Amino acid sequence: MNSAIELSDVGWKAGKSFALKDLTIRVPVGSIYGFLGPNGSGKTTTIRMLMGMMKPDHGKIRVLGLDVPSEMPKVLARVGYVPERPHTYPALTVGEQMRYHASFFKNWDEGWGKELIDRLGLDPARKIARMSKGETGKLLLLLALSQRPDLLVLDEPTDGLDPVVRRDVLTAVLDYVGETGATVFISSHLVHELERICDWVGVMDDGQLVAELPMTAFKNGIKRIKVAGAPATTVENAPFTVLSREQANGSASVETWIVRGWQDPMRTYFTSAGMTLRDVVDLDLEEGFVELLRSSRPKTSYRS
Amino acid sequence: MFDEIDPRSPVPLYAQIAARVRMAVAAGELAAGESLPSVRSLSRTLRVNPATVVQAYRDLAADGFVDLRHGQGTFIKEVPTFVREEERELQAAQMVRKLLQDAARMGIGVEELAHAFKTEAGVEIRE
Repeated sequence: MNSAIELSDVGWKAGKSFALKDLTIRVPVGSIYGFLGPNGSGKTTTIRMLMGMMKPDHGKIRVLGLDVPSEMPKVLARVGYVPERPHTYPALTVGEQMRYHASFFKNWDEGWGKELIDRLGLDPARKIARMSKGETGKLLLLLALSQRPDLLVLDEPTDGLDPVVRRDVLTAVLDYVGETGATVFISSHLVHELERICDWVGVMDDGQLVAELPMTAFKNGIKRIKVAGAPATTVENAPFTVLSREQANGSASVETWIVRGWQDPMRTYFTSAGMTLRDVVDLDLEEGFVELLRSSRPKTSYRS
Repeated sequence: MFDEIDPRSPVPLYAQIAARVRMAVAAGELAAGESLPSVRSLSRTLRVNPATVVQAYRDLAADGFVDLRHGQGTFIKEVPTFVREEERELQAAQMVRKLLQDAARMGIGVEELAHAFKTEAGVEIRE
């Protein structure tokens, strides 16, 4: 088993408006996998499927080498899940919620749960109904971590939290990974915060996975280049994929291209094709992400 | 020491961390026998994946800059003077390459750069 999460050809249709289309996802064991995508792209639906809460119309799902949903109890025992919306009881205190939660998990680590309370600055006597969004976010992570999972599935764990709490939450995740080598599957539309921590990236758009690759390949592979003497027709035999072409500002003969799968030796291609490469500009994760989505959508719907 | 690590740069984070350590060794900022922060504490302070720090330390060990002593930590090795000099040359070349790229993007020529070098640093660059 080299994948902690494996989706093969998973499809699911919700009426006419939304569908997951033949999703194939591989999350390597020990990786921190950033699951990116705009709101409504199908991230949460995908997560619900791999947590066994929804059943796909077709396709196979395996989590930690176990079949979903037939081996779900074994899966749930080893997966820490932070859902998009809190699944806690407002009437309970932090301590009570922890005891309630603990009864479901045989690996529950009480000592560590207590340490996490201190580290995250929570009060065990506090009623959940009285807690701020930030405190609730920390509690959800604490519940997931205290069960000592082999896999953490985090659905927008920092959405709507202030920067200080976001940092606390991510630091707690990194601490846990450093100590245990657990795999993390984290969905977010906050691209910058994933840029530091993830080593794999999957990008969803409109129910499809439009890219899945190691972070370094993602960041180094997508470039903005300036090309002079480009033909008016489609570019042929290029060693990279051209995501978009437009005229550069202030110059009729120069075009700006966004390319994917770029490697530096490909510079030689331009001379052989009768063009001149003027510049290669690096994009950060957010820019790469936006360009990728722009190119995966119909031309008219999305223009910057 | 790792202040200038930039997650938005296309240079992978592990390479940035390793380069920062090599630079510190070359500049004498880190001496032989000194220890580097543990993987967990550096991953915590930089808020990066622990695997990233591990890879940086492994690369440094492969390049002969540090010693990975299992269970004890990561220690700076005695690095020969010529290796340190090579490292400094490498860093200098990279800085100039970046400067030239930035200048080209803004349409600033080499002569103008040479002039700026003379007024800023008082050093003449000759062909």
